[in-house]
Amino acid sequence: MRIEAKHLNKQFKTPVVREGRFAGLRTLFARDYRVKEAVRDISFEVESGEFVGYIGPNGAGKSTTIKMLTGILHPTGGEVLLGGINPHRERRRAVKRLGVVFGQRSQLWWDLPVKDSFDILARMYRVEESVKRKRLDQFAELLNLQEFWQTPVRKLSLGQRMRADLAAAMLHDPDLLFLDEPTIGLDVNAKRGIRGFLKLLNEEFGKTILLTTHDMDDIEQLCRRVMVIGDGELSYDGTPQSLRDAIGLPTRFHVTYRGNCNIPDGTMYRSCSGSIAEGEAGNAGIKGNTTVTGTRSAVAPVAAPLVVTSRQGNMITVEANRQEMKTMDVLRMLAEWGEIEDVDMEEPDFEEVIHRVY
Amino acid sequence: MNARAWISLYGLLIRTSVRSRMQYKFNFVLSTLLAALIQISEFLMVAIVLYKFGAIKGWSLYEIGYLYAVMTLAKTLYRTFADEVHHLEKYLVNGELDGLLIRPLPVLLTLMPQSFRIMLGEVLQGGFVLYWALSGMMQSGQVGWTSVPLTLFIIFTGAIILFSIGLATATLGFWTTRISELQNITEDAARTAAQYPLTLYPKWMSGLLLTLIPVGLVNYLPSLYILRGEMGPWVLALTAGAAVLCLVLSLLFWRLGLTKYQSTGS
Repeated sequence: MRIEAKHLNKQFKTPVVREGRFAGLRTLFARDYRVKEAVRDISFEVESGEFVGYIGPNGAGKSTTIKMLTGILHPTGGEVLLGGINPHRERRRAVKRLGVVFGQRSQLWWDLPVKDSFDILARMYRVEESVKRKRLDQFAELLNLQEFWQTPVRKLSLGQRMRADLAAAMLHDPDLLFLDEPTIGLDVNAKRGIRGFLKLLNEEFGKTILLTTHDMDDIEQLCRRVMVIGDGELSYDGTPQSLRDAIGLPTRFHVTYRGNCNIPDGTMYRSCSGSIAEGEAGNAGIKGNTTVTGTRSAVAPVAAPLVVTSRQGNMITVEANRQEMKTMDVLRMLAEWGEIEDVDMEEPDFEEVIHRVY
Repeated sequence: MNARAWISLYGLLIRTSVRSRMQYKFNFVLSTLLAALIQISEFLMVAIVLYKFGAIKGWSLYEIGYLYAVMTLAKTLYRTFADEVHHLEKYLVNGELDGLLIRPLPVLLTLMPQSFRIMLGEVLQGGFVLYWALSGMMQSGQVGWTSVPLTLFIIFTGAIILFSIGLATATLGFWTTRISELQNITEDAARTAAQYPLTLYPKWMSGLLLTLIPVGLVNYLPSLYILRGEMGPWVLALTAGAAVLCLVLSLLFWRLGLTKYQSTGS
């Protein structure tokens, strides 16, 4: 099922809350509003069967967008179409084919056994008894639901709850799945389980999935497309790979030399003698130099393809942008400086990539 | 989905709600008892007022008891089946309405049965006062047996009117988020005022209670006909018409309100 978002805008108009007596009543007639533009002119299309990650810092408008797409919030401007149906004009018809999971809030009946929630949902979506049983058997196997089948939802662990929530969202077999931070707060194992299930849904069953997350592993392992929202605007839309390339974070080489090494001038942005400060202070100290990671970006490429960022005795750290220089060339160059004992390569961390975009 | 499927789903959600609350049996029993106790003390208050003053402005004790009972039972009917409308604020503040909006059902259908409770205290007390008032008036020959079905009818239309007022007030919360103070005025204060004959109040106020906040249509206006034979049977038709109008207007307003829902961050 296709998602179309056309020029979505959302402004939140909150009246300035009055203090004192009859505050609520006076607020009702108040004229002073604070207008916050949460989302500005966002347009995109998601084709059937895509798996899209939607990322951005807190407060950038991720959840607002998801809530507009699912028909919860009405946009101030623009239009949403889910498989050709506008969820704001025909909410009931549109949401019938949606599965929605909010990582922060369970959609299950808190005080009742997990199984009861499925029964109620089946009635709500008019899923036939036999179909329901077949699907639940399938989910129970994939998500290991049996172990807490009779447990009240409030007593589930976070990982169990998320699995139950996912199964609940899929019970009516929707074509389109919206997930708002489905892996938030989960341990590695639980995350793996959830990811496996989502991958299966997308690859085997052709479900269209859009998820928001702060976990870059979700993006790297699941999404073939990533959209970045910052301050209410769409700032990137493409593959995770090209996002990484566009920002051009350097690959790090940790090299240990046997004996001494001669580093040619021009590749160091700090004199080799004297210790190089590490961490934040170090970054701040070298900000003035144009060849520093912190100020590097796609628009301002580095002057030298290879930069030594730290040296401790015969161990040095080198950064190179692999867009500009092949790994073998880097190693060849490093070998000219001395006899290499060991090399350790470090790919740019996706999390760091994202921080650059924000 | 048709109306029958909706009603059966509504029934299921009520059972779910009761079952959820039965998980905390002690709290369930205690809160039911306390509610009944509060109700009895409120009734004692009214009883004392009536006993002290007797007839008010030409309204006998029985008649005032009747007004009180009809209002209580209409409110009980409304609150039994749609209590959560009165507590919409909670859903607006926490963004809990999100969970109802993603279901392919009318929001009111899934909202109303959320915390269903049997208001035993109100039913008993309202029923008792009604029985006392009607049997008293029957003995004196003021009313006949026909007053019983008519009374049930106005309790029903009254519940619809009170529901509409409650829904319209709650809907304002989509703009203001907080609504409890407004509810004090449009629901609690207005209803309490209409427990007594509207002739007690200045013209502007009784006018207000018959139009803008039409609680007077719940008990006062129809009882003018049922108890005193004033005007004519058309008063009952008018009451029913007004109830339907209130319902339609408040539902339209509610639909507008839903488009203004702001949810919460994240």
